[in-house]
Amino acid sequence: MMDLRAIVVKILPLGGDCWLARINCPQISSAFLPGQFVMVKAWPGNDPLLRRPLGILKAEADDIFLYFQVIGRGTALLAALQPGREILLLGPLGRPFPRPTAGTTLLIAGGRGIVPLLAAARAWAESLPLVFLYGARRSIDLHLAAELEALPLSGLQFYSEDGGRGRAGLVSCGLEEVLAAQTPQTTFSCGPEAMLNALAGILSGQPGRHYFSLEALMGCGFGACYGCAAPVPGGYYARVCVDGPVFALEELQWPI
Amino acid sequence: MADLSVDLGFQVLRSPLMTASGTFGQAEEFRPVLDLDLLGAIVFKGIYLEARPGNPPPRLHETAAGLLNSVGLAGPGADAMAARIRKLAELTTTPLVVNVCGGDDPEFVSVAEVFEALPEAAMLELNISCPNVHLGGRCAAQDARHTGRLVKLVRRRVSKPLLVKLSPNVPDIAPIARAAESAGADALTVANTFLGLAVDLEKRRPVFRRFYAGLSGPAIKPLALRLVYQAVQSVKIPVIGCGGISSGRDLLEFIMVGAAAVQIGTVNLVEPGAAARILNEAAVLMDRLGIDNLNGLRGTLQN
Repeated sequence: MMDLRAIVVKILPLGGDCWLARINCPQISSAFLPGQFVMVKAWPGNDPLLRRPLGILKAEADDIFLYFQVIGRGTALLAALQPGREILLLGPLGRPFPRPTAGTTLLIAGGRGIVPLLAAARAWAESLPLVFLYGARRSIDLHLAAELEALPLSGLQFYSEDGGRGRAGLVSCGLEEVLAAQTPQTTFSCGPEAMLNALAGILSGQPGRHYFSLEALMGCGFGACYGCAAPVPGGYYARVCVDGPVFALEELQWPI
Repeated sequence: MADLSVDLGFQVLRSPLMTASGTFGQAEEFRPVLDLDLLGAIVFKGIYLEARPGNPPPRLHETAAGLLNSVGLAGPGADAMAARIRKLAELTTTPLVVNVCGGDDPEFVSVAEVFEALPEAAMLELNISCPNVHLGGRCAAQDARHTGRLVKLVRRRVSKPLLVKLSPNVPDIAPIARAAESAGADALTVANTFLGLAVDLEKRRPVFRRFYAGLSGPAIKPLALRLVYQAVQSVKIPVIGCGGISSGRDLLEFIMVGAAAVQIGTVNLVEPGAAARILNEAAVLMDRLGIDNLNGLRGTLQN
């Protein structure tokens, strides 16, 4: 974990309240692992008080890329920043995805849940057979489809509820289709809670290792405040920031 | 360079900055960005005899320059905490403080006894003021008689320095502060979080399952400063200020109204290296004010 000053290279609107930020930060671009995140402070003073947790989408040279949706004031302030402005980054944070060893790996992304999975696909696509399912509510919200098409994936399928691109429907239906044809050794999923709950229901009877990356409101991002709680078996809670954000299926109490 | 050490009478602190309970994890998390030896003391998260899961999410809600929390004293229990403290004592020379909790008075005593017997625990802080455990935010520190009774019970079994953390959710802190003092407290921590309420307008419900939550952060600093001033006026034992401190200037304001030392909490979450910055800022300010130690500033507020 480092607390660093970083420079905004550019921030582009992608539509649907989603933005792509390119941030110059060599220390993090060279150190992060797929599944990790940063805590971002993109404004002076103490209002908003808390930094915002954002997953790292990818790194290119000395820059990292953040794909984020404007939800409240913090993300709106980030989206409004001009190139050259300084922001604060705390990171890289969190337990990354474990690198799969053999067999087919299935990656399932819903909406902004694409972030850690694109990072994983970029890291592993050259050396491992990867099948990627990418879904969004509207087809025009599949903002990172071209990034995936540029990778040497063994399989790639898009899903949207309007069916404007790829299949109509949810990625959870796509998972059932994949499972009917093959048995992936490892799966990695990230997306809205309802999606993860549905996927966990399907995957709980399946062989293989299944991992989920969770999103949470966070106070600190590094384990100090116990504010981001995910239910674990036995009635206790794990900290999403340091015990996760990546959890194995059996580490969580479902539904989350 | 200004001298920032503090003599509490029963313990000398290298610096006036202690960490506030529940805001500093297991302290190890901070080591990549903060030299723990810069701190005056490290206060651990409140601990009960047995492990507790804490409250279900949501546990946090951001407010204007503030943070509402309803974490609810999640913890591993006294024995596991003792092991953590032993481990941390190998990594820092900073005095370690155990924040002692209890579901009832006997449990406070039992937890205190565990850490009285632990050599690595330099001091105990009695947490009679957590608003996130009992429904409605009730706590012993809202009643002078209960405060006196509980502090006396623990004092009888504890020879280590005993800090008592008071609640800000009282009409007048003076009688509570005096009750803790006459029952044998060595120092007071003023104060815990303020009871707040967050509303989810669309759902027409409170944000938190336990309804109320505890407010911390810069938003409460003037409220805490007032409480510290009032507590200092009513007791002779040291008062440790706590509430929204996030700069060297904030620290010196608390010292000026009479605080012996301070605790920093929420600022640790948003800036894990904050303690070092605050100490530097305070040293620069003291040089500018022509003060070479904190005794030259403490309680000098002019009326």
